[in-house]
Amino acid sequence: MTRSWSAQRRRAGLIRAVLLAIAVGVVLVPLAWTALAALGIGPDNHTSPPSLVVAPTLDHLAGVTAIEPAFWQELATSVGVSIAAALIATAAAFPAGYGIARSAFSARRRIGPGLLVLASLPVMAYVLPLSDVLRRLGLLDTIAGITFAEAAATAPLAVYVFAAHLAGTSVDREEAARLEGAGLLTVLRNVVLPAAAPIVAATAIVLFVLDWNYLLTPLVLTGIDVRTLPVVLTDLFTLEREVDWPTAAAALTISLVPLIVLIGLLHRVVERFSLAGADPSTEPTT
Amino acid sequence: MRLTKPERLLLFGPVGVILAIWLIIPALLGLAATFTNYAPAEPEVRWVGLRNFQLILADRTFAVAVRNIAIFTVVAVPLELAIGFGLASLLRRPFRGRSIVRLVLLLPWLISPVASGVMWHFLLDSETGFLNFAVRWLGLASLPSPLSQHMLALPTVIGVESWRMAPLVAFLLLPGLGAIPRDLWEHARLDGLSWSGRTRHVALPSMRPLVLAVTMLLVGGALATFDSVLTMTGGGPGTETVTPALYSYDKAFAFSEWPIGAASGWLIGGAVLVAGLVYLRLAARSDP
Repeated sequence: MTRSWSAQRRRAGLIRAVLLAIAVGVVLVPLAWTALAALGIGPDNHTSPPSLVVAPTLDHLAGVTAIEPAFWQELATSVGVSIAAALIATAAAFPAGYGIARSAFSARRRIGPGLLVLASLPVMAYVLPLSDVLRRLGLLDTIAGITFAEAAATAPLAVYVFAAHLAGTSVDREEAARLEGAGLLTVLRNVVLPAAAPIVAATAIVLFVLDWNYLLTPLVLTGIDVRTLPVVLTDLFTLEREVDWPTAAAALTISLVPLIVLIGLLHRVVERFSLAGADPSTEPTT
Repeated sequence: MRLTKPERLLLFGPVGVILAIWLIIPALLGLAATFTNYAPAEPEVRWVGLRNFQLILADRTFAVAVRNIAIFTVVAVPLELAIGFGLASLLRRPFRGRSIVRLVLLLPWLISPVASGVMWHFLLDSETGFLNFAVRWLGLASLPSPLSQHMLALPTVIGVESWRMAPLVAFLLLPGLGAIPRDLWEHARLDGLSWSGRTRHVALPSMRPLVLAVTMLLVGGALATFDSVLTMTGGGPGTETVTPALYSYDKAFAFSEWPIGAASGWLIGGAVLVAGLVYLRLAARSDP
């Protein structure tokens, strides 16, 4: 009996390993193919059987600035706007999430899912009138205009995450601090925020990635003075379809590498991201 | 602990201001404008009633776009949920290298839809891609890009979007799966429940709010599909992969028909709000 159990276990482990290996392959092969193309390694499908042309070079990576002279500046714009938008949204969402978490249960039940609907609202539903509003405010095609637009688009998700998390945390230390005369902001900064630091950091990183990848918002709200990478990529491929694959692959690789490095360094932090709220059973260890 | 009114203002003020200026007021102004001929360059604004919507609903291209996005949503969302749940189940228990696998599975989500669209455009291309390379290597006849093929373009777009989103679903479902108490799994195992039985009777009931939330986000994202299609196919071949968001953007900017663009954009928002109402009802029922 025990033997069949352990045999079953081993078989299950093997199946899991095979399935995960397939999943990892499905994820990595397209990315590897792209990175290799950027380095001058690509297929020649005219020979039979097809062959790989191996001509390692960094020219394609350098060539990105030839088709897009401002590429590095646009990369810097993307980094700056994404960081600022993620920080603004996180900073504004955290107090609101706390406020919802400490509201009456009935209100919490209604507001939480409502926030998620707001978070799912497509940018297309409001971006055209938003561009008109920003034009009148003199914020069209400015860093401030696009930064706050992206912060607003991601804020509902952040509020939802914070509210779900904080609703599951204990209020004892907050109440003790309040009884000692600490004001709300002091409690928020010195008691609530330190305890919630992992989810706050994880959420800020997730928002950064969302901001980094937004296309429609910057496409409509910016474009001449301010240009982010997704807009640049779109222009290259919809206006000038003749861009060749190695150059495209180089542009893709360069735009993806900062993000992979960031997540590679911080993936322990990102793993703490959860829509499901705090798990009471693990609370004391955090 | 009770919060006073000034305290509430302090907590909700900042996010309220940002949302009001950059989202809610534009959305409402936009809704009001859909009943007029309003456009930024329009000197004389007139009330036109439902004319914008009538024009959109009478447009063949929009009808095709709605059909495309309906197919896309109905196929892609369950597919992403199923694959994502499967991956999360495989990652539930610790094993050596789990952390690396989790990191690798996050990669597709890091790629913007635009970049993913560009990438797959070339990956599936017969000259530059691996698909034709593999097919030729097996000694078969050369294969043109499925993105340019009648009847294949939409399924291919669905496949590519699932490649990008399913690993994210796994990432989002994993904390919920991990939070299910060990005893529940053990009981179910001792009761002789199979993997699918444990999934149906243990995992899904306790993860219902999370699964609903993820589904809501996926449906919102699917109905708004724009970026990836723009760079992958541009809506083609013909109109086979046109989406309502693509239609709306084209109307506003390529054809300078601002009212049509704004009104069709609101139709997408309306569709998401309807899905949102269903979600709100389901979510209200799932709380204990």
